[in-house]
Amino acid sequence: MAEYFDVIIVGAGPAGSTAALKLARAGLKVVMLERGKHPGAKNMFGGLLHNTPVLNELLPSFWEKAPLERHVYQKILSFMTPDSAVSLTFENENFKRPPYNGYTVFRAVFDNWLASEAVKEGALLLCDCTAEDLIQKDGQVVGVTVKGREGELRGNIVIAADGVLSFMAKKAGLRGDFRNADMGVGIKLLMGLPEATINERFHLVRDEGADISFVGTTDGISGGSFLYTNRESISVGMVLHLESLKASGKAPYEVLNELLRHPYIKKLIKGAVPLEYSAHLIPEGGIRAMPKVYTGGMMLAGDAAGLCYTNGINLEGINLAMTSGALAAETAIEAIEAGDSSARMLSSYKKRLDDSFIIKDMKTFKNAIGMMRMERLFQTYPQILTGILEKVYSVEGVPRSKLLRLARKEALKKLGLKDLISDGFKIGRALL
Amino acid sequence: MNIEDLPQLTQFQIDEQPHIVLDKEICRSCDHRACVQSCPANCFTFNEETLLMSVVYETCLECGTCYVICDKGALDWSYPRGGYGVCYRLT
Repeated sequence: MAEYFDVIIVGAGPAGSTAALKLARAGLKVVMLERGKHPGAKNMFGGLLHNTPVLNELLPSFWEKAPLERHVYQKILSFMTPDSAVSLTFENENFKRPPYNGYTVFRAVFDNWLASEAVKEGALLLCDCTAEDLIQKDGQVVGVTVKGREGELRGNIVIAADGVLSFMAKKAGLRGDFRNADMGVGIKLLMGLPEATINERFHLVRDEGADISFVGTTDGISGGSFLYTNRESISVGMVLHLESLKASGKAPYEVLNELLRHPYIKKLIKGAVPLEYSAHLIPEGGIRAMPKVYTGGMMLAGDAAGLCYTNGINLEGINLAMTSGALAAETAIEAIEAGDSSARMLSSYKKRLDDSFIIKDMKTFKNAIGMMRMERLFQTYPQILTGILEKVYSVEGVPRSKLLRLARKEALKKLGLKDLISDGFKIGRALL
Repeated sequence: MNIEDLPQLTQFQIDEQPHIVLDKEICRSCDHRACVQSCPANCFTFNEETLLMSVVYETCLECGTCYVICDKGALDWSYPRGGYGVCYRLT
């Protein structure tokens, strides 16, 4: 028995639910397949939902209705060595006003809410359904089968929003094997702490939140660590590049435990009680690792399309996911009106992505991938930086050097001039 | 955090059907066994005496690190049937 839909969406995450919301509102018959008990049950991220204009367009003033933890007001970047830390704190009054710049959220809660908004508009949500295979006819995707279930779902268009390990993309021939080099693994420990303690400890008032990024706390593995404040809990975790993790021979949770024992972090998490531990892959390969995003009868959105970028300062994915979901929905609406879901028709999705901030930003920071693979960035440079500041601040009754001379001396203690120049070039190409 | 506490920290709905199946012959001759160290949930164990690899799929977080890191094709890895596997409450 097959039921027929205009659009079948695989995955009720941020990309899938945004697409479903838009499609249902346009009056189309749309179904979401979710493999978890509820949307978000399988999803994890560091903790920051970036301000996403598309979400505000679809659900105006969403911050008044969505289950958000705190809006992020304080951004801190810390360079760390095992016994010291250099931090840059940025606080901005503009981040205190709606629509705010970002929010900490729990995915099991937020994703569930976003999917329920799509259901309110008429989308059908089928939980406990793992998509198993694509049904293809004459080179065109025409439906999906569900693992362990009889029957199948058929439709004009499939939007695969099935996450970073998109088996749907692979089955459609839109991508090759998943590669170490293009992936990072995120791990996180959520810890409970009373609201008043969080506010006092992080200098926050009411709903204000802090976002702290740490460089140099990954035991030499390419990657970074983070701490986010939720209402009554804090999220502490890290992202480790898979190739570098494999080469290190270290266990991710041991590297996380080292972070939790760091004197600077220890103060911040004092008294916190572990609540939940989670892990997830992140598509970190940038624009060069992106799969083809459409074929006849099918489009990819969110992590499935490899839409994520990091440049060491920004790490964005969820906003790209929701925006791509909306663009895939726009394309689907047009295609269904025209009665044509061929690859040629759906190629306008690629054009929409290219014209949006998504692909533009991914192109702008395409060279950041090379920088983020530089292991020295995650150990040697934090050491040089803290070394310089230690010399600057130490009072030892010996004559001082001027800053530049001091910096040069500290840097050359750790690195050759050639390495310094080559790294400087890489960082410059990535960010400047 | 003690990784042994994982079943108390995170919720799992255990399926009797494993979603990770190993080809133990391939694991026996693997030159890195990176899955053992890299798994964030410590699901893999290699017994040096019997030279057998084993996996505890019951506490798998479904991240896919093992699947991507294994370059020998020893893993038959898929998502669990709907409703089974890890079930995050917050995170």
